[in-house]
Amino acid sequence: MELADRAVGLLLSSISLSIFTYYTFWVIILPFVDSDHFIHKYFLPQDYAILVPVFAGIALLSLISVFIGMVMLKSKKKKA
Amino acid sequence: MKHIVKILSLLVAISAFWIGLLQAAIIPRSHTWLLPIYFVVSLGCYGLLMVGVGLMQFPTCPQEAVLLQKDIAEAKDFFKHKGVDVGSN
Repeated sequence: MELADRAVGLLLSSISLSIFTYYTFWVIILPFVDSDHFIHKYFLPQDYAILVPVFAGIALLSLISVFIGMVMLKSKKKKA
Repeated sequence: MKHIVKILSLLVAISAFWIGLLQAAIIPRSHTWLLPIYFVVSLGCYGLLMVGVGLMQFPTCPQEAVLLQKDIAEAKDFFKHKGVDVGSN
């Protein structure tokens, strides 16, 4: 059990670090690189740098709302 | 109370810096607009990293568990002597 927790923790840390590195590269460093540089092949256009986080945030919020709603429904049923 | 003042002043400083950057137009507008989203994303990454680190080195204290069990046994013994029923075991 403890090993699984450790693995999940390592996975979470690595995911967050990789997202942070990629996004930093995308948003902060890429505008200062020439647009015909080969590194631009590995990144989507700049518009997606707004669209992807916004959609991810909306999806996260809706998932949380659905979860809270389900929990409330369940607790109501238990009470009745 | 003090902590929230610190956080709020940090937020105000960051937004002032951002508005200054937006007004000065040193770098193109479209890139300046990305900065708040970058801030939010990095905050989320920080939270996820903290959760991951906390999971990785989850503190367990075996000595404290032993002491607690000893305390429980002592208390049960005490109550048994006083004639209070605390269940089996």
